Amino acid sequence: MTADLVVVEDLQVHFPIRTGALLGRTTGAVRAVDGVSLSIRKGETLGLVGESGSGKTTTGRALLRLVEPTGGRVTFDGVDVLALRGEELRKLRRRMQMVFQDPYSSLNPRRNVANLVGEPLRVHGIASGRALDTRVTELLDLVGLPRNAGARYPHEFSGGQRQRIGLARAVALDPDLVVADEPVSALDVSIQAQILNLLGDLQQRLDLTYLFIAHDLAVVRHVADRIAVMYLGTIVELATAPALVGRPLHPYSRALLSAVPIPDPRVEAVRERIILRGDIPSPAAPPPGCRFHTRCPFRQATRCDTEIPALREVRPGHTVACHWAEEIEAGRIRPAQPAAALAADG
Amino acid sequence: MSIAQAEATELAIERPVSLSRTALVRLRRNPAAIAGAVIVGLFLLMAVAAPLIAPYGPNESVGGLASTPPGPSAQFWFGLDEQGRDLFSRIVFGARLSLLVGFVAVLVGLSLGLLLGALAGWTGGRTDALVMRSMDLVLAIPPFLLAVGIVTLLGPGVLQVMVAIGLVTVPQFARLLRGSVLAQKESDYVLAGRAIGVPSWRLLLSHVLPNAIGPVIVLATLTMATAIIEVAALSFIGLGPADPSLPEWGRMLAENASRLQNAVHLVLFPGFAVVLLVLGINLVGDGLREALDPKLGR
Repeated sequence: MTADLVVVEDLQVHFPIRTGALLGRTTGAVRAVDGVSLSIRKGETLGLVGESGSGKTTTGRALLRLVEPTGGRVTFDGVDVLALRGEELRKLRRRMQMVFQDPYSSLNPRRNVANLVGEPLRVHGIASGRALDTRVTELLDLVGLPRNAGARYPHEFSGGQRQRIGLARAVALDPDLVVADEPVSALDVSIQAQILNLLGDLQQRLDLTYLFIAHDLAVVRHVADRIAVMYLGTIVELATAPALVGRPLHPYSRALLSAVPIPDPRVEAVRERIILRGDIPSPAAPPPGCRFHTRCPFRQATRCDTEIPALREVRPGHTVACHWAEEIEAGRIRPAQPAAALAADG
Repeated sequence: MSIAQAEATELAIERPVSLSRTALVRLRRNPAAIAGAVIVGLFLLMAVAAPLIAPYGPNESVGGLASTPPGPSAQFWFGLDEQGRDLFSRIVFGARLSLLVGFVAVLVGLSLGLLLGALAGWTGGRTDALVMRSMDLVLAIPPFLLAVGIVTLLGPGVLQVMVAIGLVTVPQFARLLRGSVLAQKESDYVLAGRAIGVPSWRLLLSHVLPNAIGPVIVLATLTMATAIIEVAALSFIGLGPADPSLPEWGRMLAENASRLQNAVHLVLFPGFAVVLLVLGINLVGDGLREALDPKLGR
């Protein structure tokens, strides 16, 4: 539980902005991921939360080298992932897999299920012929699909079943790490719980480590051991799930949590609600200083718009990137929006 | 009944059907496409069994020279030409040439176009820019003029004409496939393939191309129709197949255009053959487009 499976240091993914069709000039960069550092422990589920455009998906893809990072280091079980080329990288792919958000577009519509689920095994030369069939049947069983599903095509299945197909494919190679990119957000609420349970079940049986990417904190708090909150390409807070949900330190985390309704009308009526104004700024031109200062209800006159806050450990295992985290928690700084806070819980 | 049970029964009822099979089923339900297929089928039959169907040889003089060739009669269905050859037999044999030209020209255009389009779309970057800008260059020249130019360069002959007409269509195929590949390249299943560790070339050949090729197939059928018209047009201006005795529909039209006043049948029937075959191919092509469109149906 303590050993780190994945260590990410100062990961950067910048997409160049080019103008001109033939002789492209680079005129800027979209800093989708800008200095992310985190570690994923063996066997845990690390939740990665943020709104659209925060760079959480790109972070997940960069870990697997599905997007080329432009800077930083990724170490997987002691191996420098970014140094791998060609065949070495392909071999490492056996150990890290991905589950996609959209169970419709992530399955090739012209392949039947047995073909889709068996493909990783064929590509890596692990099984063929009858052994392949047997293994595919095992995998279908494992994810709770009927055995005769193999001969059918993705369009014959519901969203939840398709996500099961995607899961079967992801675990076919018996990986160590699975990056699950919003695995349930495209599904009906009634199906979400089934898939989340299946994910938990597979984790126990196959000894998996998850990076669970989601925009919905309500989902993540139930499946994650630790949660990292991303905003505009950087991590603003990282803590154990109970700590982050119970005592969030970063104003952005507070805002996210205040958006999760509490199923108790009395609490719901008096609890602190922080409503963020505006949209996430463009990652092509992030604000100076703290990236959140343009929307932060706790913004101060000094430091916030000039000095980039470092990610610092405020309590053991609880890191946050806010200059004023302690003051805000102690209630010495109050949110500026008059209508926003009905009752500050300090 | 739980959701899982409901899903299971639903599964048991539905029969497994592949997408290409549903496309065929849809094609069969389209009366226009069936009509087109019948027309093309008849022409194919005519081409294959020409010696059995045609009452006379294509260059056999059965009526002797005549300045005013006789029109259709019970013995000579489409009449005779000025050299006394049976027009019906010549048109039947002409189907061989027209279909061959259409097929080979499309094969040339399709294979080169696929290669360049797939390369450009899949590789991207500079290769893409280089390939596509040179395709633009070709597209800037009017296609018929380009074909004329290529035939002049290669010299007359059936093969040369087919190659010329094929080469002219390369940019269209390349452009269409590139766009199609680009669209597929961004989809999640390609990303999933990469995550699994599918080698790039295999991803392109076995995942991307089968999904990207639909519109190209449609273009191929439509191009075949254009190719048949173009070979007729090339023949018309005297750049067709070199052997003057070859029964080519376009040449028949060209040679007899001046006789329109006293022997209409010499122009009418070859022209009708071209129109009918092109119509048939177009109907099939349109039907294919509808059948392969994933937005129709589920």
